[in-house]
Amino acid sequence: MATVEEVADITLETPGKRAPLVTGGLKFGSITEIVAGVPEQEKPPLAWYIGFCVSVAALGMLFALIGYLVMTGVGVWGNNVPVYWGWPIVNFVFWVGIGHAGTLISAILCIFRQNWRTSINRFAEAMTIFAVACAGIFPAIHIGRVWVFYWLFPYPSLYLNMWPNFRSPLLWDVFAVSTYATVSILFWYMGMIPDLATLRDRTKSRVHQIGYGIASLGWTGSARQWHRYEKAYILLAALAAPLVLSVHTIVSFDFAVSQLPGWHTTIFPPYFVAGAVFSGFGMVLTLIVPARQWFGLKELVTTRHLENICKILLATGSMVGYAYAMEFFMAWYSGVAAEQFTFQNRAFGPYYWAYWTMITCNVVVPQIFWFKKCRTTPWIMFVASIFVNIGMWFERFVITVTSLSRDFLPSSWGYFTPTWVDIGMFIGSFGLFFTLFLLFLRFLPMVAMAEVKSVMPHGEHDPIAQADHV
Amino acid sequence: MSKSTEKTSPKSLGLLVEFEDQHQLLKACEAVRDAGLTKTDAHVPFPVHGIDEALGIRKTMLPWLVLAMGLTGGISGLAMQYYMNATEQPGMLLSGYPYMISGKPTFSLPANIPVTFELTILLSAFGAFFGMIALNKLPVFSNPLFRHKNFARATNDRFFLTVDATDPKYKGQKHREMLEKFSPVAIDEIEADPSCDQIPKFMKYVVIVLLAALTVPPMMVWNARNTTSPHPRIHPIQDMDNQLKKKTQTTSPIFADGRAMRPRVPGSVARGEWQPLEFLTGVVPGGEATSNVALLQDEEKPAEDKPAAEDKPAEEKPADEAKPAEEKPADEKPAGDKPAAADAAAEEKPPEPDWVTTFPETLEINAKLMERGQQRYNIYCAVCHGVSGEGNGLVSLRAFELQQPTWVQPTNLHDPNVTKQPVGRVFNTITNGIRKMPSYEAQITPEDRWAIVLYLKALQKSRDATIQDVPQIEADALKGQGN
Repeated sequence: MATVEEVADITLETPGKRAPLVTGGLKFGSITEIVAGVPEQEKPPLAWYIGFCVSVAALGMLFALIGYLVMTGVGVWGNNVPVYWGWPIVNFVFWVGIGHAGTLISAILCIFRQNWRTSINRFAEAMTIFAVACAGIFPAIHIGRVWVFYWLFPYPSLYLNMWPNFRSPLLWDVFAVSTYATVSILFWYMGMIPDLATLRDRTKSRVHQIGYGIASLGWTGSARQWHRYEKAYILLAALAAPLVLSVHTIVSFDFAVSQLPGWHTTIFPPYFVAGAVFSGFGMVLTLIVPARQWFGLKELVTTRHLENICKILLATGSMVGYAYAMEFFMAWYSGVAAEQFTFQNRAFGPYYWAYWTMITCNVVVPQIFWFKKCRTTPWIMFVASIFVNIGMWFERFVITVTSLSRDFLPSSWGYFTPTWVDIGMFIGSFGLFFTLFLLFLRFLPMVAMAEVKSVMPHGEHDPIAQADHV
Repeated sequence: MSKSTEKTSPKSLGLLVEFEDQHQLLKACEAVRDAGLTKTDAHVPFPVHGIDEALGIRKTMLPWLVLAMGLTGGISGLAMQYYMNATEQPGMLLSGYPYMISGKPTFSLPANIPVTFELTILLSAFGAFFGMIALNKLPVFSNPLFRHKNFARATNDRFFLTVDATDPKYKGQKHREMLEKFSPVAIDEIEADPSCDQIPKFMKYVVIVLLAALTVPPMMVWNARNTTSPHPRIHPIQDMDNQLKKKTQTTSPIFADGRAMRPRVPGSVARGEWQPLEFLTGVVPGGEATSNVALLQDEEKPAEDKPAAEDKPAEEKPADEAKPAEEKPADEKPAGDKPAAADAAAEEKPPEPDWVTTFPETLEINAKLMERGQQRYNIYCAVCHGVSGEGNGLVSLRAFELQQPTWVQPTNLHDPNVTKQPVGRVFNTITNGIRKMPSYEAQITPEDRWAIVLYLKALQKSRDATIQDVPQIEADALKGQGN
């Protein structure tokens, strides 16, 4: 049966030579052993406990600060005249952007039959959902009266006797982000049903059997069910692909539909989407490099996977670099004085430090991936991915704050300073993200076992493997 | 032996054939299909390429379901936005609510595309996911296959073929032998669950009770919302319902005058209510004497000690209303009068302010204003000054009838002292009052005061008018009447 020597890959990489998707001479059973072994451990490693404690502490801080905010009011943030959109919006856009890689890997690469996605898609989808959860918090609490957040939705209320204004980009956001979260969860969960059934069938613990049993809905791997399942999966992928592009497009509309110099530009939707993919893949890399090390996934998540991610980072990093340059060009070409001033101000004004941090992290650092050594050395990638995360946060900061702090009228200029609550909430959102992620690693299959098995070579009768032998 | 096993072993539901390799499974599937069996299924850890044809699985209708759901989402999304933002049905329970924002149209396709798109995707995704679940008849938590020890590997690395015994073409032993040829790991009988598969009777009642219990909380909420209670509401989030504030007509220790309601700061003008000073005071602004006309009037008061007569107008008003109706015809031309503000004679001492001599420019002089002035005059002035302005109003007549000692006859408005007065001065008299006449500033708006001045000037002029003053057409009409 399947061995390394006859491993095949339908994605062409080097003509005449194909890199294996799964290395180490694994059989179907050994895939299960490796992946299911992680949640089946009696006790997770010490590092997990330490990480979990730190994350939960940060999460607790987030909840405490939300409580403080609700009791006191949004004045505890640094948002003030003229910068009404401060860190909450920056964090929101940052986290939504992180989420994009997961759906992109799952949906778009699935449609393009990029089989290398199978070993990282589960991981990335989980990241998506947790990032969207973090993102959802910020707009929910920035409305001031959190307890009536449901007024945003068009629910039949005789008390209000009013409906939301559907022409407002901020309402489009409500629909875009909630739809995105819902579809991502469906996609993630549906992909997990067969793997949950595997865990159910392997576990000895009664509690786990019941838990995984309910979650797997009684899945038996019936071919007739697989038939519909595969159809549903490809349909969901086809639906999620335009969705993922629409979400960040609509987030960019929040800015672009306004009249502010530096915001009111048509480049925003593609530029935001490219940036989102960039930041999302950055976060995937940040998470997967240590995870494959700690959980022994090196045979499944091979260097080639990492190399592919690095190539995407290089491409999207260059795209955002192009967008930065194009913004300057458009400001000059438009002849609008306010627009021109805004961009001079970004680079050389009071927030020049944020601007050049952004350029360094987003445009300069990814250029190292032109070198094969950097694309194949995990620690270099890891460091670079941290830079990408930092850079993308600063990108959102630069867009949001520099435009607002100096718009048309010099009389209304101001300098934005965050408060300790801003900073604490941002750190706390990482607490939420990592708490959820560590729970995911502990209790759920972090690699899509069934999908990996389906792209493995299937013995001497396999037509692909046969072709490869020739 | 076999009999006893049959007795103890439960009923067979079919065959479970285990393979190590998916290629053997595929061949076996094809053989079973060719044998005409339709109630077959395979259980595999991942979708095996070609198994659909091997088992004869028909294409699923799922894509059509997703299409239908997507269309539903798109159309209902657009319709919802149109209904909620662009229509209004007064009186309907959940009417639309058209917002007018920045002059944008209430319904425009570009602005409504994002939400429509998102709802299309959302409903399609629901169609794909829940459609798959429903078509696969999931969730099912009880399955006789789960009782086979080796079947757990179906989700790991083994491949299983099941043949259902209820298939009309199924012949146990024959098919068993046929499948043996594909060198399976094992062939087992699928055994029915020996335990009773009936749901215990009491479960029915448990479910009924639970469902009934579920309705209790919403019923309680419904009840609470529809009954009155002497207890204060549970009010977890205060919003601004309860706050430190002063209500109207109460006292406040914060201000020196102890009033909670604050008067307008002197000299302040509300936004949109600005009027030229000459319009508000009847005095040309600029001079020293104009700084406070009201004060000027106050100074005049002691100089004049004619007793007040204006105590009673309120009582007399009903009578007053009846009278103008009678007098109106007579009212048109003639007028004998006594000025209400016969002040002109009395005061030489204080410097005269620089009175406005023509009507303010902001005032539009027309017949409508004249009519308004007549109406206001008959309401506020005629009670004392008389409808024709001769100082013989009903209040005055009654006061003389009762021989009120303090009553002073109101000014005859046709007195030359009054007729000479510039319009600004007359306006000022109405505004601030004079001698016994009180201020009418609070009762009559500035524009109406100017209207009264206008009417009064016409009234005065009409007293000395000749036929030459009458427009030709009107004069002809009068002549006709005279004949």
